[in-house]
Amino acid sequence: MSEPGTRAPGVKAPGLREAGVKAPGLKVVVVGAGLAGLTAAADLAASGAEVTVIEARDRVGGRTHGIEVAPGGWADAGAAYLGERHTALTALLAELDLKTTPATVGGAARFALGGEPVTGRFPPLSAVALGGLFDALEELAAAVRPDAPWLTPDAARLDATTAADWAEAHLTHPDARLFFPLFAGEMMAADPADVSVLHLAFYLRSGGGLRYLNAFAGGAQEDRIDGGAHQVCLRLAARLGDRVRLGEPVRAVHQDDSGVDVVTATGSARADAVVVAVPPSLADAMEFRPGLPAPRSGPRTAPGCAVKVHLVYPAPLWREQGLSGWSVSAEGPLLSTVDDSPAGGSAGVLTGFVTGAQAKAFAALPPREQAGRARAQVARLFPGLPAPDACHVTDWLGDDYSRGCYAALFGPGDWLRLGPRLTTPHQRVHWAGTETSTEFFGLMEGAIRSGHRVAAEIDATWRHIHD
Amino acid sequence: MDVTAVSDIFRRVLENPEITDDSDFFVLGGDSLLATRVLSAIARDCGAELDFDDFLDAPTPAALAKKIASLA
Repeated sequence: MSEPGTRAPGVKAPGLREAGVKAPGLKVVVVGAGLAGLTAAADLAASGAEVTVIEARDRVGGRTHGIEVAPGGWADAGAAYLGERHTALTALLAELDLKTTPATVGGAARFALGGEPVTGRFPPLSAVALGGLFDALEELAAAVRPDAPWLTPDAARLDATTAADWAEAHLTHPDARLFFPLFAGEMMAADPADVSVLHLAFYLRSGGGLRYLNAFAGGAQEDRIDGGAHQVCLRLAARLGDRVRLGEPVRAVHQDDSGVDVVTATGSARADAVVVAVPPSLADAMEFRPGLPAPRSGPRTAPGCAVKVHLVYPAPLWREQGLSGWSVSAEGPLLSTVDDSPAGGSAGVLTGFVTGAQAKAFAALPPREQAGRARAQVARLFPGLPAPDACHVTDWLGDDYSRGCYAALFGPGDWLRLGPRLTTPHQRVHWAGTETSTEFFGLMEGAIRSGHRVAAEIDATWRHIHD
Repeated sequence: MDVTAVSDIFRRVLENPEITDDSDFFVLGGDSLLATRVLSAIARDCGAELDFDDFLDAPTPAALAKKIASLA
């Protein structure tokens, strides 16, 4: 199986400084100051374009966001991890002088998979049954056309079936049925009822295969970014300076013969071309004139179902007890926990992931109830720990300017209808965002690759407009 | 199931052709997910259902083959 990260990337990824001035006078508005939008803006600015980034929130970063859990100690409330196949992100970190820290911690895990929590290295489930589950998932992933999932053999059937229906039909062992939703939640923040089998298979393949996507050491969770993943966007935005406009939700994109107006809640901006770098359902909430030939999302497109909970301790106290901080629980709200303590020892942080169906139920609770349930569960999982000093809850489901995290979930019908048009420009409007990248879809890496891709596309399409 | 057959499973799952009878799966980068795939392949090929602890206890093709033989 050809892994995305091991083949030559389809689009050249220029460094910020290496690109020459190619498009003087070209005006581009970028909608969305997440990784995709800011990467595109930085590339376009480096090639001489006049760039304006318009962001709805009063911060940059999109689905990366930092929480200061202790003075100078940051935890990732959104995207957090990277591995060595994430070459565009790795190059950007070097360019921005950001360092990484290993995400792996030694020690035993805790498992609450029916009955009292137990300590161990492996989950107390049938290894043969789990292996059968992973074999079946790897077979699905291997059959996908990674660059064009809608052209996968048998795509129509795979696109019409939910992952929940697939599990019902194919998983016979109770341990496999127990573990599958936990796996789908952890890997892609999905309730299996929300995604098509084609999306599940594509997501696994796009991220580098089951093992790469799942692993910490040697996998997609090898490292974290020192000081928080949000530093990437902060540093890109700092280079762009006052070319980034915050607090301006874009309402409409109107094109005419000579240009395009981007209309926000409080103003507008005119450009030769526009990059829309927001999740698909947010793009569909904008008014386009002329109208889009087809929507960016479908009736079954679902938000990525993730709520992240950070429990803050004076230090990573579990390590003294021989524990890694990693846990897996069948009953929520925290389906897994992981040690995300900032490098440097300023605090101990256990990050809890509430994903899939659990996230929907959890997001509906009042904040005090959310924190109470998270604290109670951690007390059961790690009875040797004192009560945490703080509990931060980040609900991406209820976030109006992300509508879910890790990424949009393609439900039945979506890949066949939306896939072929994901990157097709609408005249002067071009598309970016991790959901437009078939390589590392849903990850920071996919967002950055989409930013480089769209900048090259705009440069190639519009650079001669003012000649 | 003989040691050659177990070695072949190691090679396939670890994507590493350099497996000997005494290669330690966990030293060569095997993690819990890959371990399950070795154990499911063994179960499929010869019906022996080993668990994680069996594998930790016998992490090489030679030791696993011996364990499988003792169950037969």
